Amino acid sequence: MRLLNLLTAVYLIITLLAVIIGGYFIYRKLVSEIDFELGKELERQIEAYAERISNGVSPSALESDRLQITELAFDLKEEGLVLSDTIAYHDPLNREEKQLKASKSFKIGNTHYRISYYNLVVEAEDITETVVYTMALVFLIQIAFIVFFFRNISNRILRPFHSTLQKIRNFDFRANEPLLFEDTKISEFDQLNGFLEKMTQKLLVDYRQIKEFSENISHEIQTPTAVVSGKLENLLNSEITEEQAVLIYAAYQNNERIHRIVKSLGLLAKLENEEFKASTKIDVSEILTKNIEILSELITLSELKFQSDISPSVFVNIHPSVAEIMFSNLLSNAIKHNFKGGWIKISLVTHQLIISNSGEALKQEPIELMERFKKESKHIESVGLGLAIVNQICKTYGFRFCYAVDKDNIHTMTIDF
Amino acid sequence: MKVLLVEDNQEMILNIIKYLSQEGIICEVAENLFEAQDKILSYEYDCILLDLTLPDGNGLGLLNSIKGLESKPNVLIISAKNSLEDKLQGLDLGADDYLPKPFHLAELLARIKAIYRRTKLGGTEVLKFEEIEVEYQNLKASVHGKPLDLTKKEFDLLVFLITNKNRVLGKNAIAQHLWGDYTDNLSNFDFVYQHIKNLRKKISEGGGHDYLSTVYGIGYKFGPIQS
Repeated sequence: MRLLNLLTAVYLIITLLAVIIGGYFIYRKLVSEIDFELGKELERQIEAYAERISNGVSPSALESDRLQITELAFDLKEEGLVLSDTIAYHDPLNREEKQLKASKSFKIGNTHYRISYYNLVVEAEDITETVVYTMALVFLIQIAFIVFFFRNISNRILRPFHSTLQKIRNFDFRANEPLLFEDTKISEFDQLNGFLEKMTQKLLVDYRQIKEFSENISHEIQTPTAVVSGKLENLLNSEITEEQAVLIYAAYQNNERIHRIVKSLGLLAKLENEEFKASTKIDVSEILTKNIEILSELITLSELKFQSDISPSVFVNIHPSVAEIMFSNLLSNAIKHNFKGGWIKISLVTHQLIISNSGEALKQEPIELMERFKKESKHIESVGLGLAIVNQICKTYGFRFCYAVDKDNIHTMTIDF
Repeated sequence: MKVLLVEDNQEMILNIIKYLSQEGIICEVAENLFEAQDKILSYEYDCILLDLTLPDGNGLGLLNSIKGLESKPNVLIISAKNSLEDKLQGLDLGADDYLPKPFHLAELLARIKAIYRRTKLGGTEVLKFEEIEVEYQNLKASVHGKPLDLTKKEFDLLVFLITNKNRVLGKNAIAQHLWGDYTDNLSNFDFVYQHIKNLRKKISEGGGHDYLSTVYGIGYKFGPIQS
């Protein structure tokens, strides 16, 4: 939900509540005010009738369905104005109606009269209707104002915030530029922006350091691993017992493993830094065919059935060495995670490469195997970076990489160029 | 054969000298560019093993001086940099081969010998081991003068084994030699076993002795039969 919509909704709900409560009080005030004014009017009428009686008009001549004159005992005290609601017959409407009755007693001459006068009251529904109508109008005007002014103004106030969001969205480590903001004149936004500026500067410094670290480490480890492997190779050729030979060879193999990991990580770092610029489109059919040729011997040795359908001249925007690494990783994967008598199928058409092979059921989700150091096989030589490299290559060049295993344990790797 | 090793890492130098000297290769050392310049001008070498990251500059700089020499030695670049540009630039400037560190010493020896054969001997040399003969030029091998029907890989394997005779060759060294980086992702070295098995069979069918022995399950050794 957008902040502005939320604010508007909250504001409208509060206004609605205020209008309802206000409406209730206005209604009450209105009713009592009307009753008071009506009472005043009735009193004035009653006094006019009393005047006429004192002028000698016979009370019985005055009486009508709205006027009652009764005689009271003379020794009773004169009554003040009494207002009461009553249901009485209303002649013009020809039905019983709620009416307001005002009565007051007068001592005229030596007779004590109580004069009661009725009149129709303003009906509650009418008042309610008026109040609701008025309040609804007020509320509508409020909405109109909120929509046209409040939202416009808020939008203007929030503009620096939106521009900050936009800048964060566009932030890219590789551009190596910290975020810079203009002065917004609103202290909270300035605080936020200042904080973001500092944070991105720090992030970029950290990122550079990590990048340099991974670049340096992959280079610096090569020499010591080369020394270790040479020492072990020389040691293997000296007078040693079988036990020693096995120990030395285990050390030798693990040293190789370190080398392979470092080499793969170095490649991943280079891919992430986009060091392999694809300047032109190259014919990947040719590279794939060459790759298959080299690996065909291993496919035969692994007793795999091989089937390929490669369209000639499929041109893709990719660096040739990277294409070779990608194909080689995919193919060796298909060979490695297969079984004797299994099969591999390759199809390359414009914009799509599909490699499918028979294989074992996976213990984990295919998508997890695209992550670094996630692997299925228990082979010590397997580093677990093959698919991570393919995945990174696809990310770098904007291809779509999909790895799926169906219920018959057919592994399918699809790359959309 | 005389080799100049241009390398600044002491341990690396010891490893290489030890392995090559057992093969009868004379190995001299230059620890920086300056020393290397001096040595190539004063002495003749068959091959120069050139590291690129040297204390006083990039080893590629030496390639220009080598070009001007009368007896042009072979150059094999050995570098930890393993960058494509360096490789291309090095080969462009006249280097004969490029071997990224870390490498198997057996592979280094095989490469030095291969360059030497290719350039100095014009590939006409015949490699002999007891009754086995290998002719590089036409990729032919024979036992007792009878030709063997070997595949390209089996031929490569035989040359590699004879070049590194009497050495323990790890399965990964053999795999690396035969398939290069392609074996990086292929953990299964049954492939090596398959080739070794086929080669053994073909040699013994041709009437040759089985000079190949398994070493403690970690690799193979090609050498005279000990009985």
